[in-house]
Amino acid sequence: MDCGTCETPDSVQVVTPEVVNVNLTISAKAQEMLGNAFGDDRSMALLIGVLSGGCSGYVYDLQIVESTDQSCQEVVIDGFKVLIPNASSHLLDGIEIDYVDRLMGGGFRINNPNAESSCGCGESFS
Amino acid sequence: MPRVAYDDSALTVWQGSDALKFIDGLSSNKMLGMVKGELCQTVFTSSQAKIIDLATVFHMGDFLAVHSHRSQLTALLNHVTPRILNQDVAIIDVTSRNQFCIEYDCSNSVVGRFELKDDITYGYVAEGFSLLIASVDVECTCVGRIIEFNEWRIENQIPWNGYEISEKQHPLSAGLAHLVHLNKGCYIGQEILARMISRGRQGKIMLRIENGEVDDKFVTTHGEKYSLAIIRDTRQ
Repeated sequence: MDCGTCETPDSVQVVTPEVVNVNLTISAKAQEMLGNAFGDDRSMALLIGVLSGGCSGYVYDLQIVESTDQSCQEVVIDGFKVLIPNASSHLLDGIEIDYVDRLMGGGFRINNPNAESSCGCGESFS
Repeated sequence: MPRVAYDDSALTVWQGSDALKFIDGLSSNKMLGMVKGELCQTVFTSSQAKIIDLATVFHMGDFLAVHSHRSQLTALLNHVTPRILNQDVAIIDVTSRNQFCIEYDCSNSVVGRFELKDDITYGYVAEGFSLLIASVDVECTCVGRIIEFNEWRIENQIPWNGYEISEKQHPLSAGLAHLVHLNKGCYIGQEILARMISRGRQGKIMLRIENGEVDDKFVTTHGEKYSLAIIRDTRQ
């Protein structure tokens, strides 16, 4: 098998969507829950990433971080710093970060106008 | 053992720390936990659970070598590359550097591994056949005839790309149920396949039939006396 790894053949052309300036909103309930998570320390940021996988092809990846190596856009809403990786900005423009308060399936939820479909658990979208 | 050229082959190298997880998240078989020297087949499926391509993944240690099909490579890459996003995955097409053939009617004692013999990589895909990959510079004789290979496939009910395996079928109807892992978690098409399995209603199945037993439009591989066909399962 010749894997071409001794040389450096060109990689397959990857579809790189245009970076868009993301607009997003955070519901009042989500802001309250983020306030509980962050405490008084507003130097931390909420990183909203997208990974491949899940029933619908993409899954959200929410993290509270100090910083990230990823190239990101920073959006500040009511003192909350939100980081959006440029690579997934096309998938996240217009989202609303909500919080669903229930025993099963509760937690942060992303309402995404770009999603054509999403799976039952709400973590995956396409 | 007879060998037949496998011209509808593509070979891509998937590099990066996220490569295995990336394939696992987009295909039907469980890939996480694979180690160097192992191979595993998996099916990339659409949101309707239709087959995009059957892939054989060779774990090479620092990277993955993925055998897929030349006829489906564009569809496969169009499916996966938009989903790389920020993940550490790079894909390189090395198809033109390699030659491919199938050695069949063998009795592999080890399945799911590969080894290098005489500069040819022998991938022990199943008990009955191996996938051989060699650099184009290596002498690798494949003089078998496809008609005989197809008779062997019919006898052993082995589905093949372009025959049973196509974008019209889902893995269960194409005879690839063994590549649908039931406990691996979500991937595109998983909900539909899980529902079909749990309800015992997968619609069509692949069968070896005697010629003339079913309408010709259902036959996927024609043989001299027997054929393979994909027909609706009347037991459901």
